[in-house]
Amino acid sequence: MSRRVRDRKRLEGYLPPEGVPISFSIASIGARFGAQVLDIALTYGFIILLVYAMVTTGALPIEAMFALVMLCVFLIRVPYYILAELVWNGRTVGKRLVGIRVINAEGRRLTPHQIVARNLMKEVELFTPVTMVFTVDAMSGLGVLLTLVWVLAVLIVPLANRRRQRLGDMVAGTIVVDNPRNVLLPDLALSLPVQGSARPVFDFLPSHLDIYGRFELQTLEKVLRDPVKGEEPPDFGQISRTIIRKIGYADPVRPGQERAFLNAFYRAQREHLETLRLFGNRREDKFHSAPES
Amino acid sequence: MTDAVAEQDKRRTGSSPDNPAVPVPQVELLRSARFRVEREGHWRRLDELVVRAEKAGPASLSYDETRELATTYRQAMNSLSVARDISLDRALLDYLETLCARAYLVVYAPQESIGGLTGRLLSAGIPQAVRRSALPLLIGFLAMVLGAVAGYVLFTGDPGWFYTFVPPDLADMRTPEASVDYLRSTIYGNDFDAAETLAAFSSYLFSHNTRIAILIFSLGIFLALPSFALTFYNGLVLGAFFGMFAVKGLGYDVFAWLSIHGVTELAAICIACAGGARLGLAVLLPGQRTRRDALRGQAHDAVKLVILAALMLVAAAFIEGFLRQLVQDPKMRLAIGWGIGALWLAWLLLAGRGGEGQAKDARGGGAP
Repeated sequence: MSRRVRDRKRLEGYLPPEGVPISFSIASIGARFGAQVLDIALTYGFIILLVYAMVTTGALPIEAMFALVMLCVFLIRVPYYILAELVWNGRTVGKRLVGIRVINAEGRRLTPHQIVARNLMKEVELFTPVTMVFTVDAMSGLGVLLTLVWVLAVLIVPLANRRRQRLGDMVAGTIVVDNPRNVLLPDLALSLPVQGSARPVFDFLPSHLDIYGRFELQTLEKVLRDPVKGEEPPDFGQISRTIIRKIGYADPVRPGQERAFLNAFYRAQREHLETLRLFGNRREDKFHSAPES
Repeated sequence: MTDAVAEQDKRRTGSSPDNPAVPVPQVELLRSARFRVEREGHWRRLDELVVRAEKAGPASLSYDETRELATTYRQAMNSLSVARDISLDRALLDYLETLCARAYLVVYAPQESIGGLTGRLLSAGIPQAVRRSALPLLIGFLAMVLGAVAGYVLFTGDPGWFYTFVPPDLADMRTPEASVDYLRSTIYGNDFDAAETLAAFSSYLFSHNTRIAILIFSLGIFLALPSFALTFYNGLVLGAFFGMFAVKGLGYDVFAWLSIHGVTELAAICIACAGGARLGLAVLLPGQRTRRDALRGQAHDAVKLVILAALMLVAAAFIEGFLRQLVQDPKMRLAIGWGIGALWLAWLLLAGRGGEGQAKDARGGGAP
C-alpha cells in the first residue's frame, strides 16, 4: 500500500537525453498554491510600495504616475511569470521559496515556447476567475453559476490527473516537480562492521541467505541507519530474534551482540543478493520462490 | 562460481587509482562498496559544481569548470545506470538519482538570450506562424465581421439594441439620444480634458485590451466557442456604435476616427481569436493524434499569434493615445490607419521567407 502511494507522487521513468531514466517527485497542490500566493503577494506588494514611494516623494505628475502604475499592473501578470521562469529555468520567486520548479515533460530542456504557453493560460485559469469571484455581488444568477462552473473546471483539472498538470501545463507539455535534494549517507557495509577489537564472527550458510530479497534488505538498511531525531530507536533485539527465527540461524547470539549480528547479516545478505543480481537473478522480495501468479 | 568472483574481488581490493584522497579501509570490500569508493570523488565534485550553478547561475562557472560539469554529469549518469544493476545500497541509489536529476536541470537549462529570442520571433517566427494559420484567421475575422454586420442591422432596426450591446462605461455619453453636435465633438475632440488624461487613458486601454486578447485566446481551449462568441460580441458593439453615428450622418467621420487605431486594434483581437481557434480546433478535430498531443502541436503557432496580437494592441494604444488626438483631418486619419495596416500586412506576408527551417530551432532539445 505504502509503495503504491509513493508511486503516485513520483514521476517515474523520466528519460533525459543520456538515456538513463531518473525520477522526480511531483509537487503537491499545496506547494503550488503556496508558490502562487507568494508570487501574487510579492508582485502586488511591489506595486503598493511603488505607489507609496511615488505619493510620498511626489516626483511625478498624477497622470504619469497613473500610467506607470497601469503599466506595472500589466507587467506583473503574465509577463512577470514568463520572464522569471525563462531567467531562472522554470522558477518564479514564489517557486524558488517553496522549492518547486517547472520541467519539460519529455525529458528535454525547457523551451521558451513552453514557458510562454503555460503562463498565458494562467490568465484563464487564475486571474480572470479570481477577478470574477471578487465581482460576484454585482452578477446575475446566471453569471454566478457560470463563475462557479469556471472555477470548478479549472480546479478539477490538476486534481483529476495523476501528474497534477493544470491546463497550461497540458498545452505546454510541462510538469511541476519538487526541487531534488540529496544527502549521501555512508555505506553501511563500509562504516559499520568494525566495532572494537573483539568483533564477533557470524557465519552464514547459503540457506540462511536464500530467504529474503531486495525489499527486506533495504528495509533492514533503513532500520540500521541512525534514527531520525524524535523517533524511537528501533528494538534491535526483537528484529534480530525475528530474523534468526525466519532464516533458521543455529549459532547462539549473545545479548548485547544483536547490533553486530544485524550488521554482519546485512553485509552477508547484500553480498549474496548482489552476486545473484550479476547473474540475472533479481529477488525483489521474500516471495521470490513463490510460483508466478 | 560465487567463490571465484569473491576471490577476484579480494585481489582488486585495496587501491583506488582515481581517488587517492578517499581512504580505503583495510576490510574486505563488497563489489558495490568498492564501486562507490572509487567514484565518490567524482560525484562530490559534480555536487559542488551543481550547487554553485544553482546558487549563482551557470554563468559563474569558468570554461574548464563548465566542461568538467558536463563530463562529471555523464559519469554520474553512467554510475547510476551501473549502480542500479550491481548495488542494493538504497542510500547510494537515492543519492545518485537526485544528484543526476539536479545536474540534468543545470545542464539542460534554456540557453536562449532574451534578445536573440525576440529577434528570431519577429524576423521569422511570427510571420511564418501567421502564414500557416489561414483557416483560424478566417474564423477570427469572420467572427468580428459577422458581429459587426449583425450589430449594425439590429441597431438600424431598433436603436434600443444599443443599450443591450454596449456597456455603459464604454458608451460614456455617446448614446443614440445624444445630439449630432455632441457626437461630432467626441470624434474631433479638441477639448483640453481629453488631452490631459491621454497617457493614462491609453495605458489603461493598453493593459485592458491586451488582457481581453489573452482571454479570448486562452478561452479557445474550450472548443473555440467562447473565443468566437467574445469576438462576435466585440463585433456587435462595433456595429451598433458605428450604426449610431451613421444614422446621424456621421458615418464617414466615425469610420476615419475608428480607422486610425481600429485597423490595428480590431485586427489584433481577430488574431487573438484565431489563436484561440487553433487551440479549439485541436481539441475538436485532433485527427490521428490524441487530443493532448494535438493541443501541444497547435500551441506552437497559437502562442505566436497571441504574441503578435499583444504587440499590435500595444501599437494601437500608442496610436490611440497620441496620433488620434493630434490628427484631426479624417483623410489623414484614414491614410494613417490603413497605411499602418498595410505595413503590418507587408511584414506578416514578406518576412521570414526562405528560412522556414529556422522555426524548428525553437522546439528545443539537442545536446548542451
